[in-house]
Amino acid sequence: MTATLARPGRTAPAATGRAPSTRRGRTPAARRRYALTVLAFLLPSALPLAMFVLGPMIAAAWISLTDWNLLAPAGWVGLDNYAKLLADPKTGEVFLHTLAYIAGYLPLVYLGGLAIALGLNTALRGRTLLRGVYFLPVVTSWIVVALVWRWLLNPANGVVNTVLAWFGVDGPGWWTDPAWAMPSIILASAWKDLGFVMVILLAGLQAIDPALLEAARVDGAGWWRRLVSITMPLLSPATFFVVVISLINGFQVFDQVYAMTGGGPGGATQVVVQQIYDLTFRYGRAGEASALSWMLFVVILAVTVVQIRGQRKWVNYG
Amino acid sequence: MRTTALAAAGIAAAAALVMTGCAADGGATEGPVTITYTNFISNDGNEENLQKIVAAFEEEHPDITVEVTTLPYADYGTALQTDLAAGTVSDVFDLEYANYAQYQANGVLAEIPVEEPSVYRESVLEAYATDGKQYALPSSFSTVVLFYNSDLFDAAGVEYPTSDWTWADEQAAAEQLTDQAAGVWGDHQPVSFYEFYKVLAQNGGEFLDESGTKTAFNSPEGVEAAEWLVGKSGTVMPTVEQGQGTPDFDTNLFTDGKLAMLHTGIWMFGAFADVPFGWDIAVEPGNAQQTSALFSNAVGVSSGSKYQDAAAEFARFLTSSDVMVETRLDAGWELPVISDESALESYLTLGDPANRQAVFDSLDQVALPPVVAKGQQEMQDIMTEELVEAQAGRKTVEEALASASERIDAAIG
Amino acid sequence: MAEALTIRAPRTRRVPWRSILLHLVIALGAVAMFFPFYWTLVTSLNADSRLDSAPTMWPADPSLEAYATLFTRLPFARVIGNSLLLAVVTTLVQLFTSATAAYAFSRLPFRGRTVVFGIYLATMMVPLQVLVVPLFAELKAFGLVDTYLGALLPTFASAFGIFLLRQAMNQVPTELDEAAALDGAGHFWIFWTVMLPNIRPALATLAVFAFMGSWNSFLWPLVVLRSPEVQTLPVALAGLQGQFTTQWDVVMAGSIVSILPMLAIYLFAQKYVIQGVANTGLK
Repeated sequence: MTATLARPGRTAPAATGRAPSTRRGRTPAARRRYALTVLAFLLPSALPLAMFVLGPMIAAAWISLTDWNLLAPAGWVGLDNYAKLLADPKTGEVFLHTLAYIAGYLPLVYLGGLAIALGLNTALRGRTLLRGVYFLPVVTSWIVVALVWRWLLNPANGVVNTVLAWFGVDGPGWWTDPAWAMPSIILASAWKDLGFVMVILLAGLQAIDPALLEAARVDGAGWWRRLVSITMPLLSPATFFVVVISLINGFQVFDQVYAMTGGGPGGATQVVVQQIYDLTFRYGRAGEASALSWMLFVVILAVTVVQIRGQRKWVNYG
Repeated sequence: MRTTALAAAGIAAAAALVMTGCAADGGATEGPVTITYTNFISNDGNEENLQKIVAAFEEEHPDITVEVTTLPYADYGTALQTDLAAGTVSDVFDLEYANYAQYQANGVLAEIPVEEPSVYRESVLEAYATDGKQYALPSSFSTVVLFYNSDLFDAAGVEYPTSDWTWADEQAAAEQLTDQAAGVWGDHQPVSFYEFYKVLAQNGGEFLDESGTKTAFNSPEGVEAAEWLVGKSGTVMPTVEQGQGTPDFDTNLFTDGKLAMLHTGIWMFGAFADVPFGWDIAVEPGNAQQTSALFSNAVGVSSGSKYQDAAAEFARFLTSSDVMVETRLDAGWELPVISDESALESYLTLGDPANRQAVFDSLDQVALPPVVAKGQQEMQDIMTEELVEAQAGRKTVEEALASASERIDAAIG
Repeated sequence: MAEALTIRAPRTRRVPWRSILLHLVIALGAVAMFFPFYWTLVTSLNADSRLDSAPTMWPADPSLEAYATLFTRLPFARVIGNSLLLAVVTTLVQLFTSATAAYAFSRLPFRGRTVVFGIYLATMMVPLQVLVVPLFAELKAFGLVDTYLGALLPTFASAFGIFLLRQAMNQVPTELDEAAALDGAGHFWIFWTVMLPNIRPALATLAVFAFMGSWNSFLWPLVVLRSPEVQTLPVALAGLQGQFTTQWDVVMAGSIVSILPMLAIYLFAQKYVIQGVANTGLK
């Protein structure tokens, strides 16, 4: 984090590749003034983040090297917690379950949210109200959503299996079956977060110049063609945002698992953050919980760095 | 630049945090003091009743003021853990029996001198003593009994359960009472750690061996007990797929008149008060012996409290005073853990169920949950998880117990 | 924008099948989205509600009893006031800290900017569950436990908000600020008069999410705010579930009460998003 603010005149162009700002002097005084400007814009956010997130993160790193149980004074154990977690097959399992969740959730929620955003971006009667309705699940608590979905997916008399039975399909055991519990959680999560994706993409769609689309239409481009060649590239910053955020949040999936299956049946839906929560507050193994968090952090960081590196290939900042 | 300062601050914070010692200091109660009490027992409707007891205490002790904080039960553990970690725990705080051993072993609890131990029920009081010293005082108890729908028994021509029933009697009745076509089930008993340790005791088995750090339930008694527990599913009790295990499923089934027998706690009396059919309770059937589960809440005094004398005084008042007994009985709040049953007489005539005496009878032979100094919650979670695996048929009972025993040994050893 | 993606087939007199289909699908989706809310509402109006059975479509004997219980059991004005205060302050402060940081990341190149941005994003990557204990100890050292400030400080900056606004600012054409710069405007002036008006949809979106994040937040307020005087709505609502039993109609009534303000904010902000674009005349 050695963010040297000096010599702005020689800094590389921004990560996005845009032209450098026009107002940078070359005299020492001007450089200092520029550095102060940058600092003034960054400080209001850097200060709270450093004090209340990075600070505790470093504290957690230190705790991860101890055997602290939250009750008695801690003893130094070095990297034992990490070694223990790496040797424990459960660690691999919770990471695998988390990845399975992301693999199902991300495409579902993105494509669903995109479809709704496109649909509600048309001249539809009552669209303000409809947007409100589609946003409802986002603001509804997971307790309620979990109850509803458990009922919808009830293996014995739930709506979904009843409808499947009409078509002669013998519905699965959903959240009571280890193989179907994670798909159940994915379905409910995607459904709940559709509104979130919709809102972000709608804001992105609003920023697209209608004249561009109109011109394409006049040129005879069909709906699909306009979507692929104009809307999607112009929407790519919003898409990039949704993907990065959904991945960061997806790795930290917890509430829905806690509310829908509690990690069951038979531990089939246990995810990383649930393990962290249990280790900290239920089992009082703060050292291991902190170590697991740092392992998770490294994974999320790696995935995010890859995405930021890769964005130049497909994200179009106009 | 910022990094180093930041790291220093972070490490300092962490160090301060981890080093939070337990500077136990017997408190001299001089002059007016204010002690704090964090509780969950009054949450969900008894806040004013607790206030009544606190007011009576403050009147009797003009130099002590009690500041009460009430937290939801579900999140109390999270808040308490944070407080214990940061050294901000209240002078007096609620705890459940299951957590007692862990807190005591880690030096969180101060000794609470008790001059008149005879006012408490001996068996429950003893549960909160270690090496002859009292480290917490029981504030209330509940037991689990067998509830039954007498209308369903009448319709099927089956004799009502009595206090000397065995598992075989219960099984036979459950089979007769189950009428799946009509959606009526004979029996319901949750598949969980809390039921298992009890049926194990009913079957003469032991959960832990003498060392207290190794499991002993993977025995013939244990297998038979687990089979009794999980075997009801699908024959006389609904399966998980049919909804068993979801919140309130069993009690709703009972209030709908579609469940003949239900194993649950006496805290359900209020919820069943207005059901449109006859019902009563009996002490739970046993096998090798009769044993009932006892749940109890308690209060402890923080070993870091500055006012341990005042805190202990309040803890004693909260768990044994006459005002407390009266308030609890008047409000239909959970029963106090006092030995004088005559003081509880009014409880017997409070209305349904008629056989309230069974509540006291169940206390004659109680089994407290096994507790360990390390890994209590993991032990409970693993046990429940493995039993549910057996219930779902994904494992045999033998496999589930073997796996549970191995995993629990690793967690508590 | 409205007609941009319209499915209405122009210049034909055929039946607009695609439009009808679109309306139908959107309406069906809306029903699916609305249903759980409706169920919550019905359950809250049903005196002895239960959860296992199929949801009732209409309360057999509708009553506002649950709401009455809710209002007598909880110090309602106070917990809603507390939640509102925290949410409004969090939203305003986050809008400010996010917009300023986003401007730096979008318009002020400096060495190591990508790395700094990465560190900002990294603050989202450690679960709160593991930060709560150190954070609590830190605020205890500052003497801020059980104060509004203690609850607020950790929410003052959000990497999510900064990222969201940075994406929006990156889409604003540089020609606009360059033109202002040629007129002699400094960065603060450009930020205020050029940048902010041009990212109104994103600001409105962030306002919704910041408000929602604060309004729904549970773990941190639970841990840091203890006195009844400072308790927030979600923590108070959690108190409705007992150690052994729960009155679901009251829980659902509480759920409805907590949803409505957020929905209102969202609808208000949505209007603003559309007006905002129309007013700036941009694009």
